[in-house]
Amino acid sequence: MKKNIFYLIIGFVALLLLAVFWYSVENFTPVFSMIAFVLGVIVIYAAYRRVDDYIEDERSARITEKAALRTFQVFWVCFCAFSILEVMNLLYMPHFSREHWFERSSTTGLLEVMSPRMIGYIQLGLLCLMIFLYVGFRFYYAKKYGEWETDEE
Amino acid sequence: MKNKIKVYRAMHDLTQEDLARAIGVTRQTILAIEKGKYVPSLDLAFRISRYFKVNIEEVFTYEDEVRTVGID
Repeated sequence: MKKNIFYLIIGFVALLLLAVFWYSVENFTPVFSMIAFVLGVIVIYAAYRRVDDYIEDERSARITEKAALRTFQVFWVCFCAFSILEVMNLLYMPHFSREHWFERSSTTGLLEVMSPRMIGYIQLGLLCLMIFLYVGFRFYYAKKYGEWETDEE
Repeated sequence: MKNKIKVYRAMHDLTQEDLARAIGVTRQTILAIEKGKYVPSLDLAFRISRYFKVNIEEVFTYEDEVRTVGID
């Protein structure tokens, strides 16, 4: 099987999974999407085993490895910084003003700056950002290691 | 790291594609090595030199280079 056909199969499976997901949402039966996900993984794996023109050599493995490493480095810094900020907000950061200290009885308790739902959305957004970061780093390292050089002498 | 892969390819009348197929890598990898954009592993360097039936030092020569600071 050619590599491009494999990519087409992935796209087709992803579309089917999306359709089954919404079908199961409308019918209140999550078991459909669960079974479809498992079947999708099996189909993609079976198709991957049949690809014969895909060569993963050490250079492409290195590009993948480096892009993944840099993505995780950047992602965890952003993710942890945001999470620590929210934890500090939720746990009532100490204030150093005299007025605040004398009026502390009226302001005790959790200080909710951002709702937990919003925190979840932003963390999910950061997870999605990881995909774009990975693609960006992958382009960078692919260019660095001569992916698109074309001269044949 | 400098190399003479292009010279040896010319001596054996091989294209990048031929060499890549014989070594088991992609053509882009051979091209990247020739242009000095990618430094091959010891294993791959030995495979290339063994394919040309020469010692590794005859194909690859190590030279000290000034490293730039950046995303490596």
